[in-house]
Amino acid sequence: MSTFRRQENDELSIVFTSQEAHVLINLTEQLIELLADGDGQEHQVDPLLQVIGFSSSELPPEDPVLRRLLPSAYDDDQEAGEFRRYTEHGLREKKKAHAHLIYEALLPQDEDWNGDIPLDKGKIEVRFPSADAMAWLGGLNDLRIALAVRLGFGAERGKPGQSDGVNDDSDANNSESLHKKYELMIESDPMKAVYAVYSWIGWLQQSLLDAISAE
Amino acid sequence: MATGTLTESEIKFDLRADRPWVCVVWDDPVNLMSYVTHVFMVLFGYSKERATELMLKVHNEGKAVVSSGTREEMERDVQRLHEYGLWATVQRDDES
Repeated sequence: MSTFRRQENDELSIVFTSQEAHVLINLTEQLIELLADGDGQEHQVDPLLQVIGFSSSELPPEDPVLRRLLPSAYDDDQEAGEFRRYTEHGLREKKKAHAHLIYEALLPQDEDWNGDIPLDKGKIEVRFPSADAMAWLGGLNDLRIALAVRLGFGAERGKPGQSDGVNDDSDANNSESLHKKYELMIESDPMKAVYAVYSWIGWLQQSLLDAISAE
Repeated sequence: MATGTLTESEIKFDLRADRPWVCVVWDDPVNLMSYVTHVFMVLFGYSKERATELMLKVHNEGKAVVSSGTREEMERDVQRLHEYGLWATVQRDDES
C-alpha cells in the first residue's frame, strides 16, 4: 500500500495497484448510482424545479446509507422536510461530483494501465491539484460512511467517544464491539473483506490528510 | 431621522435577533478525528487549536456548537458540513 505524496508543483500523487484501483472504481461507481437512486422520485418531479436544484421529496430516504449521507438538517420533522425539499438534490449532486472525481482519476488513461495485467501486478499513478484535496477527502469519507452503515455501525448519532481513529477502552459501545467482531472474524467471511476495505480507505484518508498538512 | 436615543433594551434586542441560530455537529462512529478537525479548519477558517478543541468537544460530549448566526447562515453551514459527511443540524440558540 502506498501513500499520498505532495509534489513540488502543488500536486498530490499516489500509486495504486490495479487491484486497489478496481476496488475504488467499483465503490465510487456504486456510490454514484446509489446517490442517483430515488432522487426526487417519491413524488412527481417538475423537471424545471429539478434543474434549479429542488428535490420534491420532504421525507428522508429509506435506504440507511442514503439516510446517513443525506441527513436531516433539523430534528423537527416538518422543518427538516422543508429544508430537504430545497437542498437534497443539490447535496446529492455535490456528493456525486466528489465520487466522480475519484472515479475519473482511476479510469485507464494510457498503456500503463492495462486490464490484461494480473490485478496485483499493474500500477496506476494518480495525480491531482491540491485544490482537489477536499473533494477527494469528502469522496473517500462518503465511501467509508456507506461501508460502515452496511457493516452495521455507521448510523448512530451523538454518542460521546465513538469517533474512529482512537483506541480508548473507556466506554465500550456498539460500534466498538462491532469493530472487535470484524477483527476477530475468520478470513473467509465476506464481511471481513468489507471491513478490510473500510479500514484501508480510512488509512488512505489519513494519508491524504498527512500529505496536505506537511509543509 | 431620530438621533442618539437608542435605549439599552433596543440594542440588546438587535443583538439577539441577529444571532439566534446555531449549527451543531454530532459525534458519529465513522469520521476520523483528524478529518473532522481539518473540515472545521477549511470550512470555517478556524485555527488548528480552535478546530481541535471543537472536534474534542464533539468527541467527548457527543455534540458541539460549531458556529452561530442567522438561520440562513446556519443552514448554509449545515449544508456544507453534510457535503463533507459530518452530521450537523440547525437549531435555535436556546435549545439544548
